[in-house]
Amino acid sequence: YVRPRGNSRNAILVSNRQKGNPLLKHIRNVRWEFADINCDYLLGQNTCALFLSIRYHLLHPDYLYFRIRELQKNFKLRVVLCHVDVEDVVKPLLEITKTAMLHDCTLLCAWSLEECGRYLETLKVYENKPADIIQGQMDTDYTSRLTGALTSIRHVNKTDVVTLGSTFGSLSHIMDASMEDLGRCPGIGERKVKRLYETFHEPFKRVV
Amino acid sequence: MVQFHEHIITDLLEDPAGGMVILSGGLSLHKLISNLVSLHHTSQGTLLILASSPSQRQSILLNTPNPPAPDNLAENIGARAPTISEITSELPSNQRASLYTSGGVVFVTSRILIVDLLSNRLEPTVIAGLIILNAHTLSATSTEAFIVRIMRTGNKNLYVRAFSDNAQAMVSGFSKAEKTLKCLYLRKLHLWPRFHVYVKQDLEKEPPEVVDVRVPMTNYMMEIQKALIEVMDACLKEMRKTNKVDVEDLTVESGLCKSFDEILRRQLDPIWHTLGKKTKQLVSDLKTLRKLLDYLVRYDAVTYLKYLDSLRASESFRSVWIFAESSVKIFEYAKKRVYYCKRLEDGKIVGQSKTKTPKKRKLQDKNKDNEDSLPASTNIQVVLEEVLEEAPKWKVFLEILEEIKNDRLKQASSTEDSVTEEIDEGTILVACKDDHSCVQLEECLTKGPRKVMQDEWEKYLLSKVELQSLPKHNGKKKSKESKGIGVLDGTIRKISGNNTDVSSISKQENDALLAAATDLRKQVKKDKDRDNSEMLEDKAEHQKGKKKRASKNMPTTSNIDDKNSAAAAMNKRSDKVSSESHKRTDPEVIGDVHTSIVKDFSADRGIIWKHMQSVDTEGTTESNLLPPVLFYAIDSDSHVLDILEPSVIIVYHPDVAFVREIEIYKSENPSSKLRVYFLFYDDSTEVQKFEASNRREHSAFESLIRQKSMMMLPAYQEGSFSGFDPPIEPASVASQNSITRKAGGRKKIEKEMQVIVDMREFMSNLPNVLHQKGMRIIPVTLEVGDYILSPLICVERKSIHDLFGSFASGRLFHQAEMMIRYYRMPVLLIEFSQDKSFSFQSASDIGEDVAPTSIISKLSLLALHFPRLRIVWSRSLHATAEIFASLKANQDEPDESKALRVGVPSEDGIIEDDVRAENYNTSAVEFLRRLPGVTDSNYRALMDGCKSLSELATLPVERLAELMGGQKAAKTLKDFLDAKYPTLL
Repeated sequence: YVRPRGNSRNAILVSNRQKGNPLLKHIRNVRWEFADINCDYLLGQNTCALFLSIRYHLLHPDYLYFRIRELQKNFKLRVVLCHVDVEDVVKPLLEITKTAMLHDCTLLCAWSLEECGRYLETLKVYENKPADIIQGQMDTDYTSRLTGALTSIRHVNKTDVVTLGSTFGSLSHIMDASMEDLGRCPGIGERKVKRLYETFHEPFKRVV
Repeated sequence: MVQFHEHIITDLLEDPAGGMVILSGGLSLHKLISNLVSLHHTSQGTLLILASSPSQRQSILLNTPNPPAPDNLAENIGARAPTISEITSELPSNQRASLYTSGGVVFVTSRILIVDLLSNRLEPTVIAGLIILNAHTLSATSTEAFIVRIMRTGNKNLYVRAFSDNAQAMVSGFSKAEKTLKCLYLRKLHLWPRFHVYVKQDLEKEPPEVVDVRVPMTNYMMEIQKALIEVMDACLKEMRKTNKVDVEDLTVESGLCKSFDEILRRQLDPIWHTLGKKTKQLVSDLKTLRKLLDYLVRYDAVTYLKYLDSLRASESFRSVWIFAESSVKIFEYAKKRVYYCKRLEDGKIVGQSKTKTPKKRKLQDKNKDNEDSLPASTNIQVVLEEVLEEAPKWKVFLEILEEIKNDRLKQASSTEDSVTEEIDEGTILVACKDDHSCVQLEECLTKGPRKVMQDEWEKYLLSKVELQSLPKHNGKKKSKESKGIGVLDGTIRKISGNNTDVSSISKQENDALLAAATDLRKQVKKDKDRDNSEMLEDKAEHQKGKKKRASKNMPTTSNIDDKNSAAAAMNKRSDKVSSESHKRTDPEVIGDVHTSIVKDFSADRGIIWKHMQSVDTEGTTESNLLPPVLFYAIDSDSHVLDILEPSVIIVYHPDVAFVREIEIYKSENPSSKLRVYFLFYDDSTEVQKFEASNRREHSAFESLIRQKSMMMLPAYQEGSFSGFDPPIEPASVASQNSITRKAGGRKKIEKEMQVIVDMREFMSNLPNVLHQKGMRIIPVTLEVGDYILSPLICVERKSIHDLFGSFASGRLFHQAEMMIRYYRMPVLLIEFSQDKSFSFQSASDIGEDVAPTSIISKLSLLALHFPRLRIVWSRSLHATAEIFASLKANQDEPDESKALRVGVPSEDGIIEDDVRAENYNTSAVEFLRRLPGVTDSNYRALMDGCKSLSELATLPVERLAELMGGQKAAKTLKDFLDAKYPTLL
């Protein structure tokens, strides 16, 4: 039993109902403590989570509904963390999805307790994090940016990027290369040549 | 037309519902289709051809004469040859409609067709039938199956004829042939393997004369191959240890074939997440190794080395194979085929090489490790010496040409006496795997193999140095500028000191490489200044000029008393080269004449006819010497035999399908003489691969024959094509039933649910499955979301692959933003694939701590930033359909016109009634948006400001600033475009 301590803002608060849940073993990177709360996990001022394993859901199909109803409305993000622990998931998952959706909950699925634990940790750690890692900011060094751009063309892989780079010297030269020159690069076959050439030389807008 | 093609067609026409034909690769499927198409009569309605690849389209078009030609088939009397047209996305919808009703033959992409069908632009009754190519790519959920279902519902008399020439693909997976037949509502399966009695009869009646040439590989090649196989074997053994895959398939032999990846993937996909990193790495390593084996016999020594270099630079550190003991050998030998480095003490050997001619010996005997080395000056230095091993096939290739020439000369002289005999002067066709080898072989013919290697080597060096704006490495210029060719023998003095320890060797080696390259670059630069033209062209010109100069100056160069002994050696070499080129004058002259033709030909295969004419004229003028030598890339998939009518074919890279093509060509022209040379590397994987692919096709057909005998096919009655009764039960029958029960049974669903679907989504199979479930699909172009289920619910669908990709690009963030803005219940649908595992990663892959790159982190962030975004997890396509139905259950139907307007920028005005994705070069747009400096706000302006990416690359920074609305962004972009790629060294 972990005694609630003063500075609980940096910790995940865990409902007493969760006592004995093996999931707790996997919350390692964030401090957590038991508290008397309505939701299963309190992950921040505006975020809470309910935990549900599909196996449990199959035994108690109404459980989720009642738990959600108990939740206060004042959370911005209400997560239903679903542990996928059965093989035949389609039907139960459909029911869970529907319940969660109709009651304004965000469903997150995890396939192991480790993963469940990691979701809880991440939601807590990223509580105030800006969204830039999902806004498309890539690594900023030249090679990875070049690789990122060129591999967006289908069939082009990292080795091809090196080949192209070392053959033509710079991106503008690659973009200007003729089909024949592209075809001369080892590992760049007919299909890739065509793909590359089309990307660079076909107009952005096909219909003017 | 070959006899057995007629048999196939007769068989096929028996069943009015159509049938599916599977024949061996290379048995001229395109001709079969052309013949079938020419049987079509306008009064029957329109014939649509689906799922054709561009090259198939082209060869079918070429083969079908558009003006009515007398046909071999008797039953075709008086039929007006139908016009063949193609429907592309550029065609406005009214023209499409008129083509649909034209009664002609129309190529159409499935995506356009399904959209037109669903939006009632096409009445199924005007269609006579469908021809579906590449039937092996079909499945119950694919768009073609969707089309057939709708068409059959609306048109009882429709015939469907499906074709495939890929038997192996047809047996992958459980009873695939049967499933494919069912999804097309077909009952007849026609199998035409190469060993079919009729095929055999036809093809073996007048077999071509075959010369099998076994070329021994060089020692180094053997060694590399041995090492590669060793590594491969080791990887396979590791694989076996994992106990995850069927051991039976894990042989080196099957590992040689492309299909090996598929076998492996199919077995591993369902458990992919449970695999450790090591196993995954093994899978990709095996692929790499297979490529390396293939390239070993395909590429020349320098190109091969270059590929290895790139590989080493890009391969992740986790690669198992790269650190295997044998791998070291691979790199070492590959290098030795090109050059080697010699470290010398004081100019010990100086005198020696002046008198002796190590170079010459090396030229003649390149396999032997040459112990001679270049002269040195004082101090320790590293000498870079090129070996430039030529591909053994080159020599044989040239010999064959010579032989043919001599034969013909003899023949010509003999026929002068007896005029009656015809002179054999048909075209010589050389068939290589890819364009690259074609161009190279052609150069071999015109310039001589030595020169080709030199050029490749120069390019290799240049590519090393171009990348690195080197400081003047070797302050002292050597007198190399005077002689063009000699520059390659870069010697470099180690000015820094006498560090003789072994570890510095590789460094010195690099230095030597760099030095050689730098010199070469200087040379090229000089020429560039002079000629003031494009680099590459210039280089080619420069080579020619050099050759001439060298031969002219021959006496002088050898007389020069050079202080630099290295230079003297070089002179000798250039003598050698020039004399070589003298010897080859004959082929060279001929070659020059034809170069232009061959060049055009390989560059622009589309217009073969034009070249034909030019070839003919050339052929007559040159008939006393060699006939035209043409090159053909097997990869290009165009069928040239009928057009070029070669009398000699040199198969430089053996390929089963191409062999069959030759057979067909021969049996169609039994009177014309044909000799075929096969060039195999003896004891190579090339042979093994060739034989294995033959064997595999054979066994594929055997298993198809077995399957055919056991098939259970329902008799299709009228009305059985309705969409609510899918011919193939979805995998989750049980759960489906329970859902329908819950929702009040079938009736409820049949109450015409509507889903608005974005045009782009017809690339996926979900619309088909939704339709199977009885929903009405309304295709429109949506600015926000992929599916609109109700006025409130908007769904963005992501397959797993898409999900990762659009997290990385930031697209998902943007899409979520838009959905939240316009809809009350925005949904992100994460759709897994039925045959892959239902999870992102295995527990062991999760890692110790919260990591920003993890998918968990990204999803969590998404949830935190868009708390209103609902996430739906779907096991499969069918599960998605169920979820959609259940989500819609208590909601109003969506409004099409409203959905259309959502999120459309007002200045864009009305959205055209066509497929948006096809109006954009999407891959270019995607590429553009990944460039630094390009943002959501300026990429549209950039697209308006220049036509294509290649134009973008040439825009000056001022113009970019104008378009991008800022100096800083423009400079970032420009810098990125022009940045020098870091060197490999």
